[in-house]
Amino acid sequence: MKDILRRHSVLQDEVVDIINKQIKMEAQSSAAYLAMAAWCDKAGYDNCAEHFFKQSDQEREHQMKFFHYLVDMECDAVSPSVGDSQHEFDKLRSVFEKQLEMEIAVTDSIHDMVRVVRKVGDIATEEFLRWFVTEQIEEEYVARRCLELFDVLGEDKVGLGMVEERILDIEYDAGE
Amino acid sequence: MEITKEHIYSTDNASLHQCDESEIYELSFSGDTVYFRACELITFKRKIQKIDLATLLSSETPDIEIIHMPHCDRLFALTTHNILELKDLFAGAFTMLELNSVIHKQLIRKVI
Ligand SMILES: [Fe+2]
Repeated sequence: MKDILRRHSVLQDEVVDIINKQIKMEAQSSAAYLAMAAWCDKAGYDNCAEHFFKQSDQEREHQMKFFHYLVDMECDAVSPSVGDSQHEFDKLRSVFEKQLEMEIAVTDSIHDMVRVVRKVGDIATEEFLRWFVTEQIEEEYVARRCLELFDVLGEDKVGLGMVEERILDIEYDAGE
Repeated sequence: MEITKEHIYSTDNASLHQCDESEIYELSFSGDTVYFRACELITFKRKIQKIDLATLLSSETPDIEIIHMPHCDRLFALTTHNILELKDLFAGAFTMLELNSVIHKQLIRKVI
């Protein structure tokens, strides 16, 4: 009997499921960052707003990367439904604390995925996930540096003004 | 030319065959026959597997679940009994198909 199954099902069901779950998480993050951008903009922190708009775009790109991977592998990619995002924050620092929290959650989730693909011996997907592992090192670094600005500059009017001034300069240099 | 269908798995009222020639799967179920390409079959199987019987039984309309199959644009109204049977059929059929894959991997493709 011809092995048709192998020709058409590249990924195992469990792997398809965890990728679809991650697609949802990335979509949720993208939406959350949008809400954070809106809060910053309303509060008059234009640069912080721009920072979160960029973050939102990035999460959308991550989502699409996963989505295309499933489609390319002839698997079912599910366009996710996204729940409500947090729109209210008590102060600017809280918005950035939320950012770090979200990025840590994403890192944990990506690491869990790596463990699953290792368990089922899906070497190709493990290779695909490598990019996300590296990306999360960068995302967490940026989130931590943002919060450090508050520690260093303080949270009075002048301090927050300086945070706003420097926020767009934060970049990850990969130890160069 | 006689087209041979490979029998994959059967339950009381359902069976699945594979046609090597056309790479089409034939699902016979309560007197009905539906044809699937491989990815469509996998999609259908996943839909059936994802139906949670406990949730279904406690819902307002416990006896029927509607499944849409986009590839042939048909709606299937499945009873709880049908779903149980299809779950059984796919569990058995995919075990056979995976076994066939293993045989190809270990024996047939290795020889080439
Ligand atoms: Fe992301």
